[in-house]
Amino acid sequence: MGSLLGDWPSFDPHNFSQLRPSDPSNPSKLTPATYHPTHNRTVPPPNQVISTEATNILLRQFYQRAEEKLRPKRAASENLTPDHGFKQPRGSFPDETSN
Amino acid sequence: MLSSTQPQPQSQGTRRKKQCGSASVLMFKGNNLASRVFERQIRTPPPGTSVYSARRLYENLVPSCTIYDIECPDLSFRKFTDDGQFLVCFSRNHHDLIVYRPTWLSFSCKDEDCDSCDLPSKAKRFESFFTQLYCVSLASGNELICKDFFLYVENNKFGLFATSTAQIHDAPAIGGAIQGIPSIEKITFHLVRMEDGVILDVKVFSNDYLGHSMGVFLYDDLLAIVSLRYQTVHILQIRDSGNFVDVRGIGAFCREDDELFLNSHAQCMITLDKNKLRELPANHIENGTQQHRHIPGTFFLSGIKQRLFSFIFRGIWNEQKDHTMRVQCLKKKFYFHFQDYADLIILKVQFLDRHHLLIKFGSVEGAVSRSTDQHPAFFAVYNMETTEIIAFYQNSAEELYYLFERYCDHFHAASGNSLYMNFISFHSNNIHALEQLRNVKSKTSSFPQFVKKMLASLPFSCQSLSPSPYFDQSLFRFDEKLISATDRHRQSTDHPIKFISRRHPNLLRFKIKPGLGDEDIGNVLKDLGLFLHNASIMVASHQAYIGLDGSISVYLILKQLVICIEKCVSFFC
Repeated sequence: MGSLLGDWPSFDPHNFSQLRPSDPSNPSKLTPATYHPTHNRTVPPPNQVISTEATNILLRQFYQRAEEKLRPKRAASENLTPDHGFKQPRGSFPDETSN
Repeated sequence: MLSSTQPQPQSQGTRRKKQCGSASVLMFKGNNLASRVFERQIRTPPPGTSVYSARRLYENLVPSCTIYDIECPDLSFRKFTDDGQFLVCFSRNHHDLIVYRPTWLSFSCKDEDCDSCDLPSKAKRFESFFTQLYCVSLASGNELICKDFFLYVENNKFGLFATSTAQIHDAPAIGGAIQGIPSIEKITFHLVRMEDGVILDVKVFSNDYLGHSMGVFLYDDLLAIVSLRYQTVHILQIRDSGNFVDVRGIGAFCREDDELFLNSHAQCMITLDKNKLRELPANHIENGTQQHRHIPGTFFLSGIKQRLFSFIFRGIWNEQKDHTMRVQCLKKKFYFHFQDYADLIILKVQFLDRHHLLIKFGSVEGAVSRSTDQHPAFFAVYNMETTEIIAFYQNSAEELYYLFERYCDHFHAASGNSLYMNFISFHSNNIHALEQLRNVKSKTSSFPQFVKKMLASLPFSCQSLSPSPYFDQSLFRFDEKLISATDRHRQSTDHPIKFISRRHPNLLRFKIKPGLGDEDIGNVLKDLGLFLHNASIMVASHQAYIGLDGSISVYLILKQLVICIEKCVSFFC
């Protein structure tokens, strides 16, 4: 029959009997519908590379909570890192130990 | 997806209708093995579900017969390796390692009614199923093989075994050791090539104590060994050539060059002290030098303890904006408990990935006793590369429990290499297991106690769960008290252990009879190994009964499933 489906086995030999093979010299008039975007708001950045996150979801959760916990609530004025060049001598902590 | 309009010639098929937008998909999951195989050939499974689709065929491939009373060698059977290639046994005197290759009996039946076919007489012989590969002596002198310890490095087919001498209680705390931890004169780890029994490398720990199950965690090629006595986590790498390579030791030091830096600093301080305090008597200078040595118990906290304290401190510091409140908070939460935190020791460790460790901290009493209920316990997440503590929780922390409930399967750090290890049923990846957990949770009277109980299983021991599809909760329902994926010895019962299909809740797929049922079982030790090998599925159950007269008898019960290729259409309906 020369159908598009060739000689594939079929449950009922009369199935697909209406199908006409496509003629290569007379291409079908139907063109598949294509869709084009009308704007470019959602164009990805030109050198975007999508890859898997290296840390798994559990570790991401731990890091997220650590960040929330350790993010200083006040900006800059009371940061903990001591001034450069001024090392506290061993035995005293960098805060008030009185009262 | 197209819908199939041709009805399948199926008597007991299950039809599931799935709405995908406007198309409806009819998916047959029949009980007929042959039709399922044919369907697998023509139908693409949903993306990313190849392992699940393959596993579902195990609903049809179940053990169907039991062979009793097989004479087997007098050995202590330990475990099948997870890839099913080797059976690991130890000699009764715990000196030798004997490894068998499962070779399986092959048998086919061409009759109309295969069920009435008897297995040949050679099916009753141990040698028909297992071939001995080698017998290698691991322990010499007064050493014994630690029979509870075996780790399998799957990539290279290496086996990790441990031998140790006897435990010395009340060992003196010398050389930086912790008081109260026993000592073992020599612990040796042996790396054995499983195919031929060649011992590739050994690692010896002297006058050390590594805890129950040797405190070892294997992740891919990285090994973490916790020395309880010296409070160090040794990280080793197992090379492809079969050598142990020391990567780092975490404890008193975090980075590889910390020790060098601190020693050189100590030298410098000694010189300064000597210059400044020349008039003082000699013992003062000695006291000065002692203070520079990082002995646990002195106020100079180094290494991982320092990281831990700074994490706790910074967390409390950042809680309050007001300076006075801050100080109050610190006094209450940090300084008040300072000594308690300083007394904490590393108990157990596991990998969360190649760079992160989950460390359990506790008290010395918690280290030596088996029950950790009354002892305090804390968990910390440590990044080995940046040497930072990321998280610190007490064992009653609800936040940690919340993470455990949602991401339990990520706590079981399964490396990328063994695919099937990612599909073990936990309550975070299986709805039936989650339901069981919810039942337990709803019945509990005290939620903090429940949290402590659940978190007591952390850190997990590696390779302690069987990846067998028969323990997949989506496929089978079974009594968790009688059998489960964990490699734990259980009290056996006379009742057969039933595996019921999940899809057909009334259909018993197969059952395992744990014993012959006609003996008074005093103490039963059971070791169950379950895996697939080519065309036949073997369940080997080894039991030792202590009979009424005190004698020990060993039975190896093998259940073997034989697929008859010619008759597989009607075989499993």
